[in-house]
Amino acid sequence: MLSFKFYFFNREGVKALALDGWKEKLFQRYLFWKCRPARLQKYLESVLPKPEQPGPVDQKKIRVAALQVEFKLFKSPFACIDEIHRRVLEAKEAGARLVVFPEYNNLPLLGMLPGIEKLGEQKEEEKNITAAEKNEKPEPGMADVFAFMSPITTSFVHTVFSNLASAYGLYIMAGSYAFLDSGNLVNRSYLYNPEGKLAGSQDKVHLLPVEEEWSLKRGSRFSVIDTSLGKLALPVCMDATYFETSRLLELAAAEIVLLPIANLEPYNYWLALRGLWPRVQESPLYGVKSALVGNVAGFTFTGRAGIFAPIELTAKRDGIMAEVETYDREAMAIADLDLQALRRLRQNHPWRDHNHRLYQRYFPGIYKEIMEDNL
Amino acid sequence: MQVGAISFSNLRMDSIEHYRTDLLSMLEKNKPKVAVLPAYSALYLGLGTGALKQGNNFFDTLSIYLSDPGTWDEEFLDLHASTAKYSGIYLAAGTVAERYEQKGGKDLYHTAYCFNPEGQFCGKQRQTHLTRTERELGFGRGEELEIFKLGSFKTGLIIGNDARHPEVGRMLALLGADLALCSSAIEAGFNCYEQAAGIWAQVQQNQFWAVEAQLNGNLAGTAFGAGSAVMGPCEITPGKSGYLARGYPDSSLVVAELDEDARRGIKRKYPLLSMLNPQAYKELLPERDYYARFI
Repeated sequence: MLSFKFYFFNREGVKALALDGWKEKLFQRYLFWKCRPARLQKYLESVLPKPEQPGPVDQKKIRVAALQVEFKLFKSPFACIDEIHRRVLEAKEAGARLVVFPEYNNLPLLGMLPGIEKLGEQKEEEKNITAAEKNEKPEPGMADVFAFMSPITTSFVHTVFSNLASAYGLYIMAGSYAFLDSGNLVNRSYLYNPEGKLAGSQDKVHLLPVEEEWSLKRGSRFSVIDTSLGKLALPVCMDATYFETSRLLELAAAEIVLLPIANLEPYNYWLALRGLWPRVQESPLYGVKSALVGNVAGFTFTGRAGIFAPIELTAKRDGIMAEVETYDREAMAIADLDLQALRRLRQNHPWRDHNHRLYQRYFPGIYKEIMEDNL
Repeated sequence: MQVGAISFSNLRMDSIEHYRTDLLSMLEKNKPKVAVLPAYSALYLGLGTGALKQGNNFFDTLSIYLSDPGTWDEEFLDLHASTAKYSGIYLAAGTVAERYEQKGGKDLYHTAYCFNPEGQFCGKQRQTHLTRTERELGFGRGEELEIFKLGSFKTGLIIGNDARHPEVGRMLALLGADLALCSSAIEAGFNCYEQAAGIWAQVQQNQFWAVEAQLNGNLAGTAFGAGSAVMGPCEITPGKSGYLARGYPDSSLVVAELDEDARRGIKRKYPLLSMLNPQAYKELLPERDYYARFI
């Protein structure tokens, strides 16, 4: 959940004008040149091992890693690659077959924008600027920044995660990224398979008010991706607030939900509990939550990466398979998922029921008003 | 508005007179405007007073109860209608077995009733989602959700297993419910997470109030015991916990004051329901018969 404004600075730390001037376009080309696929590929080949063939999958023991990523800004794409590589390697060494990165995983790349680290200072200065002064100065917002960085973001994500997945023979959910797609800003998560191919993607279906202000285009359906690790789905952060997400995914035969989050709010156990955990109780699924955390430029992200399951499948009957201890530092949660146990539970569930006539009576009528508002 | 959830702890159940005396005393002392009794209330009191016979186990006892003609249930409901009137409160009387005669036989429902301060029936709800055991016992599913006014609060009733089916809370919320009165009975033991996965989760994704009465007692060898609670959206509760008040299984009564202005404020600030995206839910709609796949 992001809600801060972003200003673009020149070398003197003075707020610059809109991001569509010729200087900015030139700078954008420079950034793309720095992050062009061939350059990243060459670097990746120098640091990664030769592609590894993944071993056979034991459906009773699929080890997954939910990463808690500390938000850092990187001025160089190579430094950013090194950091991502380090985290993938950490998961690989722990035996993971699937690694999950957090929401807005493009934020570290904003470090390539000069002056970004002064954002916090500027926030203070902003308080002293009159409304009239503000009106005189065009203020690019986060949507403009994401749009500006789109070519760099997409080039980076596909090149880096494709290579990492194939080098280590892993499935990697690369996190979600805000960027322009056919003129629309989207928040999209990606899954790469052990062959280094893009296995699937998912646009965020439920947007925060601030994302609607940014004119993000929301997803119109949920996808399920058939993999050798079972059927995976990639909803994004706020999607887990609504039971409809997990119900749809369960009905579409999903087994493991990979949820990236980036919560820009002080940590609270109960607020954090409102997302993925209840969803995997309502619709029997495994849930893997990755979190962006840390304090950069005066903005604080919190969360706890974790791996959740229906209460019936956890030893302590708490629905938690693994959860990191900290909410503001780097960490990793690891757990082994038993798909056969999940399938058995679904087939012989003690309390699940459905009531077709009830749904027929009220759906879709009760959604009608919202549907009309959203048309 | 002051609301309360009653667990039956510390109420004498050995005679109707004792029960009524203790219940009235509790209500008089704590003065809730709305009180909720737990699920299986009629069965529990019927067994305690000897009006109903106990079987070898819980399943057996329920079977015997369901074969009863229902005279005890009528007596039970009359008792609580008069209690509501005497105390001048809204009283959700827990649940009874509703025997509904129709052509071709008798249908059974697990049904909750609510009485107003005049002692008149003001709300009724049949359980809409059944556990496997409830299906085996022959219960049918309710096919309607009722919203009724309780003072200025639009109110719905949620029973037992419906707490674990979020469709119920979503329908009630989109039908306009401000408040859900929940009658529950969860087997005793390590069950706080089961509870959180139920009504607490429904409250958080629908931003209504809920008063959850949990049975504390033993029914034919099966121990029930979970903490009754009053819940609201996290943002307007102490510690952002989602709980305005929360009892232990042996707490007789849990009470809390509902601040409706605060709830409306958080709904304006964080309008969860208006951020739903029904365009993406087409596969859930009944004409697609999608749900039929998982049973």
